[in-house]
Amino acid sequence: MILTAAIYALAAVAAAATLLMIFQRDLVRSALLMLTALLATAGIYLALSAQALAALQVILYAGAVMTLFVTAIAVAPGAWKDKPPAGRLARLLGLAVPALLLTALLQATAALKLVTVSPEFSETGTLDLAMDLFGPLAWQFELLSLVIVASVVGAVALAMNRRRA
Amino acid sequence: MTTPALNTDLLLFAAAAAAKVLLFLGGAMGVTALLTLAERKVSALMQDRIGPNRAAIAGLTLNGLFHPVADGLKMLFKEDFRPAAADRLLFALAPVLALAPVLTLFAFIPFGDYVMLFGYQLDLCVADPPLGLFLLLAVSGLSVYGTFLAGWASRSNFALLGALRAAAQMISYEVTLGLTLAGLMMVYGSASLQDIVRAQGALIWGWIPAWGIVTQPFAFVLFLTAAIAANKRTPFDLAEGESEIIGYFMEYSSMRFAAFMFAEFAEMLLIAALCATLFFGGWQVPFLYETGFMLPGGAALELPQWVTALMQTGAFALKTLFFCWLQLLLRWTLPRFRFDQLMSLCWRRLLPLSIANILATGAALLALR
Repeated sequence: MILTAAIYALAAVAAAATLLMIFQRDLVRSALLMLTALLATAGIYLALSAQALAALQVILYAGAVMTLFVTAIAVAPGAWKDKPPAGRLARLLGLAVPALLLTALLQATAALKLVTVSPEFSETGTLDLAMDLFGPLAWQFELLSLVIVASVVGAVALAMNRRRA
Repeated sequence: MTTPALNTDLLLFAAAAAAKVLLFLGGAMGVTALLTLAERKVSALMQDRIGPNRAAIAGLTLNGLFHPVADGLKMLFKEDFRPAAADRLLFALAPVLALAPVLTLFAFIPFGDYVMLFGYQLDLCVADPPLGLFLLLAVSGLSVYGTFLAGWASRSNFALLGALRAAAQMISYEVTLGLTLAGLMMVYGSASLQDIVRAQGALIWGWIPAWGIVTQPFAFVLFLTAAIAANKRTPFDLAEGESEIIGYFMEYSSMRFAAFMFAEFAEMLLIAALCATLFFGGWQVPFLYETGFMLPGGAALELPQWVTALMQTGAFALKTLFFCWLQLLLRWTLPRFRFDQLMSLCWRRLLPLSIANILATGAALLALR
C-alpha cells in the first residue's frame, strides 16, 4: 500500500521533472530537472526492491553522467547567455515531434502489462549478480567494456587535438 | 487486511527507527559541532597557542567548550548576503545539496550489533541495506552538485573557478574511493556494512582479528587518502583557501556559509566512521562476543548482553574519534598540493594502485582457496 503510493508519487515527480526540463530555458536548471527525474526513477527501483539497479542508476546516471553534463554546460559559453525565444514555426515543430513520438510510444506500450510490486520481498545480492555477470552474461558484459575503450580513445583524441591547437 | 498485532509491530518499528535516527544523527551532529572546536584547539596546540577559550555561559568557560554555540549564534545573526546577479533558487539550493548527502550517509553506518529492549531485538544501525556499499558510493557522489551549484549560482568568476576545481577533484577521487572498496567486498563477500563488520569479528590463525586493516592494509591507505581528497581537506584543500585561492562558496555568508562548513566537518566524521567500520572492525572488540570475552587460551568472561552492546558501541565511538583526531593532525601537518600534483596523484598513482590492489586481492583469494 505504502510502496504502491510511493511508486506513483515518484513516477509523478519523474514525469513532472522531465516535462519541466523540456520547457526550461536555463541549461543548468534543465540539467538539474533531469537529475531530479533520474533520482525519482532510482526511487522507483528502490520501492520495487531492486536495490542494485537503484544504486547503479544513481552512481552512473545521477552521479557520473549528470555531473559531466552539468560541468560541460557550465564551461560552454552558450550557458552564460540568454538566448532569444524560438520562432513560431520552431515552437510548433518542437511540440509536434514530441507529440508524434508520444503517440507512437503509447501505442507500443499499450500492449504491455502494468508492473506492480511483487508480493514476496526479494533482493539481489552481489554474489547472485556476479554469478550472472561472469556466468551466462559474461560475453555481453565483456562486450560492454568496448564502450569504455571507445570513450577513452575519444577523450585522448580530443585532448590531443587541443594540445596541437 | 492488517491485524492489530501487526500494526503494533509496525508502530514499534517506526518508533525504534525514529529513536535511532534522532540519537545517532543527533549525536553525529553534536560531535560535528565539537569538531569545529577541536580543529581550532588542535591547531592552537600544534602552533603553541591556547586556542579559543573565551566564550562563557554565566562566567563558565570550560576551556572553550561553548565556542561552537557562540559560532552558531553568530552565524544565525550575520547578514544573509546574496549577489544581485545570483540565481536565487539554485543559490538557496546549493547549501542543502551539499549537506543532505553527507547526513544521509550516516544512516548506513552500524554503530553497534544489537541490543535487547523489552524482549525486542533492536539493531544498532539506522538502515542496513544488502548493497550498502554501493548506496554509500551513490549518495556520496551526489554531494558534488552542492559544491558545483554554489559556484555556478553565485554568478561570480572566482566562485565558478573554485567550483570547477572542486568538482574535478571530487569526481576524480571518487573513482579511486569506489575501487578501493571493491577489495573489501571481495574479501568479506558482502556489500552490507553490518555484514562486513560482523565478518571482521573472525580470527585469523585463532588470534588475529580479521579486520580490514589486516586483510586490506593497502586499500586502507588508498581509501583514507582518497576520502580526505574527496572531502577537499588539507593537503587537498584546493577547492577553497579563504585568503589565497578563494573558492566555490565565496559569495555565501551567514547560515548558508555555515552549511558548507558543517558539511565539511560532518564528512570528516563520516570518513572517520567509515575508516573504523570498514578497516578497523567497526563495533567489534577483539575477543568480545555476544556472551562476553573469550580469549584464545580458553579463558572466558561472561557479560550481560547490554554490557556487551555498550562496550561495542563505545569501541566504535573511540575508533571514530581516533580517525577524526588523525585527520585534524594531518590538516595542521601537511602543506597544500598544487592542482596538477593533486590530479597526477589521483590518476597516475592512486588509481593504478587501487586497480592493482583488486588484482592482488583476487590472486590472493584464489591462492588461498
